[in-house]
Amino acid sequence: MKRAGIGWLLIAVPLTLALLGPLFVPEKQTRSAPFMPLGLLGTDFVGRDAWHQVLAGGQTVVLVALLATAFSYVVGVPYGVIAATARLRVVDELLMRPLDVLLAVPSLLVLILVAAITGHGLAVLVGVVTLVNFPDVARLSRATALEISGRPALEAMRMQGESWWQTSIVYTGRSMLRTLAADLGVRLTAALYLVASASFLGVGVPPDASDWAVMVDRNRGGLFLQPLTVVVPALLIVALSVGVNLVFDRALRKVRT
Amino acid sequence: MAGLSLASYTARRAALGLVQVLAVVTLVFLLVQALPGDAAVALAGDNPDPARIAQIRAVMGLDRPAPERFAEWLIGLPRLDFGVSLVSGRPVAEFLFGGVGPTVVLAALTLVLLLPISVLVGVLAALREGSLLDRALTSVSVALHSIPEFALAVVLIAVFGVQLAWLPPTAVGADLFAQPAVLVLPLVVLLARPICSISRLVRAGMVDALASDYVRHARRLGLGETRIRFAHALPNALAPAVQQVARTTDWLLGGVIVVEAVFVIPGLGTVLVDAVAARDLPVVQGLAVVFAVTTVAVNLLADLVAFRLAPRAEVVA
Repeated sequence: MKRAGIGWLLIAVPLTLALLGPLFVPEKQTRSAPFMPLGLLGTDFVGRDAWHQVLAGGQTVVLVALLATAFSYVVGVPYGVIAATARLRVVDELLMRPLDVLLAVPSLLVLILVAAITGHGLAVLVGVVTLVNFPDVARLSRATALEISGRPALEAMRMQGESWWQTSIVYTGRSMLRTLAADLGVRLTAALYLVASASFLGVGVPPDASDWAVMVDRNRGGLFLQPLTVVVPALLIVALSVGVNLVFDRALRKVRT
Repeated sequence: MAGLSLASYTARRAALGLVQVLAVVTLVFLLVQALPGDAAVALAGDNPDPARIAQIRAVMGLDRPAPERFAEWLIGLPRLDFGVSLVSGRPVAEFLFGGVGPTVVLAALTLVLLLPISVLVGVLAALREGSLLDRALTSVSVALHSIPEFALAVVLIAVFGVQLAWLPPTAVGADLFAQPAVLVLPLVVLLARPICSISRLVRAGMVDALASDYVRHARRLGLGETRIRFAHALPNALAPAVQQVARTTDWLLGGVIVVEAVFVIPGLGTVLVDAVAARDLPVVQGLAVVFAVTTVAVNLLADLVAFRLAPRAEVVA
């Protein structure tokens, strides 16, 4: 309980900044020399006010992670359910075997490779993080759906002549919900991790973007002059990922006990 | 799967590994093929002259059909012939050999430190279940587990490298062996995540094992507590942890790329990031193959060790 409280607190600060921060960035931004002690945190590597960058820079991380997690469920759940309920075993194999290959490659490597080939853009980043994350969702959905399809209740429903919609979507879907929800925290942290690491490595976002991870990378040169321009965005990312993890861990415990 | 011998299991598992490697290698080739505009276009410069592009294509052999080039590239791989860099014209293998040293040092040191520390912490927590140490371990590991390496690294550099000036903030121009202090912060960053996950698994496995029927039976037989704990319970507790170690190599490789970038260590990760920035695709291709083969090999090894430790364990293929 205490841990979840800390978790919410840790999430609240970066999330508020990410969602409301962009509203407080002044229209007209003045530029001065890089790494000068101006404003709240000093100026960044091209002389912008680092505090304004912090205010504007949370949106991408949060939005891309949320979107990518949502998409990996949208793709992964039907994928796994189709594999589990396929009449032909070949279909199951055809669907699941390629995922083994994808899981055999380090996720950051897939991310770098695909982004190197397709170029920059937030859509690319969302796509690649989805690609890396959905095999796990698909596997979990397949395992859950397999377990459910063997239940006597479902067998009885089929014999009563319930429609495909009732058996496959309504009953199976509702039964899977809890397992999938329990996994949500892991997926969300994984997505956050990947998005932040990719942006830090300069994959998927323009080099002067207002983004916490990009700020950490670009302002490293001024670590001795204006350490806050690096440490504040880094700490915000740390707070966000630790907070999400603590809150979901707590929720999971509650579900289990 | 009952009664499967180690030899036949090894053969099966190795066959699967080979298929995985082949699939990944094919995938990498196809991905690079899918690139709009090939290497010749990239080399021809800002105002490409079609005749010049055709000439470069002929010289590099890019005008030949893709299956032929794929076959040639594939045959070259076992001989460590990865092709030639587009940017510098040097063989890709030279880049790989140049960068492999620091990366192997980092990865090996991480693994060497990771195993004893996480097993020790996990066992201690399990033996004193519910104690302060146990609860502290759980809290810290849940929190640390999810932090991206670069954020942790930068915060540690700011505190220990810049503010306190205890440790060198980066490894620029340093010899990794002559100045071991350079390695302290990178290793701490690399160890933070895997220690959490593995020690928790060891703890969970050990708690289960100590409550199991065979341990109760061994106690009834009057075996010594030390022998029960370390000769009977621990091997069973380790099997899932070993497989998690293999999955950790995924993180480790990703982590090494990030850590090398943060601490300016000239390893394979730096080579990769530079090659991606310069769009030097043969180098990217070669590195992808090396990383994929390493991951598959480590997974294979871990599955074999886990099978040896607890032969009944059903191993996910």
